[in-house]
Amino acid sequence: MHAVRNIRLCTKDCICLFVCPTGATDTENGQIDASKCLDGCRLCVHACPSHAIFLLPRAYATQQKKSGKTVDALRELAKSKARQEKLAQDLADTTDDPLVKQLATALVRSNRILQEDLHRESGFMLPQASITKDFLMEQLEKNTEDKSFPKEAVQRLLELL
Amino acid sequence: MEEDMREMSPEELGAVCSNLSKTCEKQMRQEEADLLGELSAYYRKQAPKQKTKKSKEKSESSFKVLAALIEQDLTQGYEKANKTIQDEHDRGAQRSLVWGEKATKFLKSLLTRYEKQGNALLENTSVYVCDICGFVYVGTEPPEVCPVCKVPSFKILPIRKEAP
Repeated sequence: MHAVRNIRLCTKDCICLFVCPTGATDTENGQIDASKCLDGCRLCVHACPSHAIFLLPRAYATQQKKSGKTVDALRELAKSKARQEKLAQDLADTTDDPLVKQLATALVRSNRILQEDLHRESGFMLPQASITKDFLMEQLEKNTEDKSFPKEAVQRLLELL
Repeated sequence: MEEDMREMSPEELGAVCSNLSKTCEKQMRQEEADLLGELSAYYRKQAPKQKTKKSKEKSESSFKVLAALIEQDLTQGYEKANKTIQDEHDRGAQRSLVWGEKATKFLKSLLTRYEKQGNALLENTSVYVCDICGFVYVGTEPPEVCPVCKVPSFKILPIRKEAP
């Protein structure tokens, strides 16, 4: 596990510079140098007065099993939110009233976030989980004919995840 | 699972990908986040685009259809889902239904107010959406914490007014 800095929270007290035994916290881009960071050291995490540093695991635990009933129930709701997203998107695309467009865009975003949460709890929690790989493989197979499908992006994802 | 995926609309497929993209960002995996973003953008383009301009009456009827779907989620969708999962001991699923139902109730109240007041509701003020739970807020400043998921206000983001 190596340390990463949440720049939003960092109050530039620089205590991490004083405690880091390898100089990993002192970089040009504001992020901690993972190649220098000592696995599980935690000195900067504990020293940071603004709680802006945390440890990022190199491996993640297996996801909790989801029952078929739960998956179906959450996906059904997600389907309804997807319909609403589409309706609101059509409205945002076709109105000539800026206020209607603003409200419709808010509804698009809201319905997308509601769907994302339902999909997350229906099993798409970790990108590294096998359900994600199955999903990507299936999309790759299904869209072989479609030239606009981002095939390379999906193949690269399958390598990385 | 394969059957389910085949039935998913472009919006649903896109939401699966944008969700995974956000998770990659949290894991500081920017390349993966960008690739999943690319895939999500592809599905956005797959959805058939409406081009003909809509009249005021047509927009009003779209809002009515949206309000009816929201009502259906609240009277049937969430109730059915809550019943289905009540004995599953799945805290995450329960949590997402609680947040989703609350955010949907706020949507209902917003659309009811919009039906009564029309654009007067939106003039000289701002619109915000909570990036975590989808709560929509109309007002000059977002609440200090989200009333649905309790995230601090810097995660509640403004929707700009744009010329259509």
